Amino acid sequence: MFRENYRNLNSHISPDERLIDITIQKVQKQQEKQHMMSFASHRPAAWIAAVCICVLVTMPVLAANVEPVYQILYAISPAAAQFFMPVHKADEDNGIRMGVVSAYIHENKAEIYLIMQDLTGERIDGTTDLYDSYSINCPFDSTASCEFLKYDGETKTASFLIRIESRGGRIVSGDKVTFSAGVFLSRKKKYENVEIPVELTSVWEAEERQKVETRGGGGSGYERYADSEGFVEALIPDEEGKEFLVDGIDLTGIGYIDGMLHIQTSVKNRIENDNHGYIYFKDENGNAIYCDCNFYFSDDKENIDYCEYVFDIPQSEIEKFGLFGDFVTAGMRTEGDWRVTFPLNEG
Amino acid sequence: MEEEKLRLDAPADMVIRHYADMVYRLAFARSGSQYDAEEIFQEVFLRYVKKKPVFWEEEHRKAWFLRVTINCCKKLQNSAWRRRTQELDENIVFETQEEINLYRELQRLPAKYREVIHLFYYEDMTLEEISRMLKRKNSTVRTQLTRARAMLREFMREEDYV
Repeated sequence: MFRENYRNLNSHISPDERLIDITIQKVQKQQEKQHMMSFASHRPAAWIAAVCICVLVTMPVLAANVEPVYQILYAISPAAAQFFMPVHKADEDNGIRMGVVSAYIHENKAEIYLIMQDLTGERIDGTTDLYDSYSINCPFDSTASCEFLKYDGETKTASFLIRIESRGGRIVSGDKVTFSAGVFLSRKKKYENVEIPVELTSVWEAEERQKVETRGGGGSGYERYADSEGFVEALIPDEEGKEFLVDGIDLTGIGYIDGMLHIQTSVKNRIENDNHGYIYFKDENGNAIYCDCNFYFSDDKENIDYCEYVFDIPQSEIEKFGLFGDFVTAGMRTEGDWRVTFPLNEG
Repeated sequence: MEEEKLRLDAPADMVIRHYADMVYRLAFARSGSQYDAEEIFQEVFLRYVKKKPVFWEEEHRKAWFLRVTINCCKKLQNSAWRRRTQELDENIVFETQEEINLYRELQRLPAKYREVIHLFYYEDMTLEEISRMLKRKNSTVRTQLTRARAMLREFMREEDYV
């Protein structure tokens, strides 16, 4: 209905012929000007950077300086940058070895199997997560992903599958890809369907509250809470925190605001640990009752991220329900600088 | 929408005629002004010949035009020289009172909501495609679409929420 009406409305909105003619004239003038100047259009910056990287990679003493030149060249011309990058199928830093096992292409897709092995300790495990620290550089326009495959406890090795899809036709055999990562999370713990011990019958209207600017939120009721500028009424965090069973996530508030039950959790340094979760109620029959909405806000000074859940459960009925949650936390964060460059081969 | 097939090496005037409606309508939806839409329209096609982007598929060229149109809208919006929005409806003739009402409601939406509405309901893009094009989080685009729908609720029916 709306789609159809919106389309009909747009059918009355078109550029007039005069505007199209003027634009074509301007464009043709521009093309003539470009034609006159075409001798100067050999992308000198790309060639200078290409020569620099060529010199640097052929002189081992200066090889450490390749990085800034590579980054500049990659920004100007990914194809040239990858062409000049030396093949380097394994890398080691901070006692962790990264290596490419195989890299095959099928028309416009490539699949790469990669391993990471802990040579000195137990930092890699079956929950190893490269998080959002990795990057994949290709000489062509592409979409790419990296997924954890499995962990082998005997060799302390985790394997990953990288998938690359070209957005502009076939991938040519010999095209080089650079995969790099700077951090991984491990010793992750999953808490599913855990009961949160809170004395719900003693939860009352919050005496103090604050207006916060949300970073976003969701749920069917979100529209009713956030004003047009994105501000909402929230609980004031309890700095002491309440007793909570998940290490890495705090329960910082619970109370009623205007008849709606608010429950607030927080995570310190979330960007570094990716700890997150979701809470909900269960009734006497075990049916889950999800929040009407939730919203996020931050204390940038203390580097704390808050999530506040809003439930439509009146105080008079709260004793019929139990509070539950699902959470994921990371117990270890390992930093390093791992980078491999390898050619793709026809499968 | 464009029906006829366009060759990838088509000359600029053919490309302009092919994408004229798409670029103009998005520019108008985003800026809410015919005058701004005309300025954006010319800027988008000038960028096209200046940058000479290479495409392997027509879909990529279409995506390029949509993205650049949005960028030009933002640039104009942020421009210190930008003229004040003028009353523009005198040149647009609508057929029904409902269209006039819808047009007026759309004009009340923030520009960022109008562009999401346009990409979703006119260009038939998914939320993921819109978030990639606008370089916004998927959740942000979803929120903006939800808010825009709420503001246009009298024009919405149940089937419009999918």
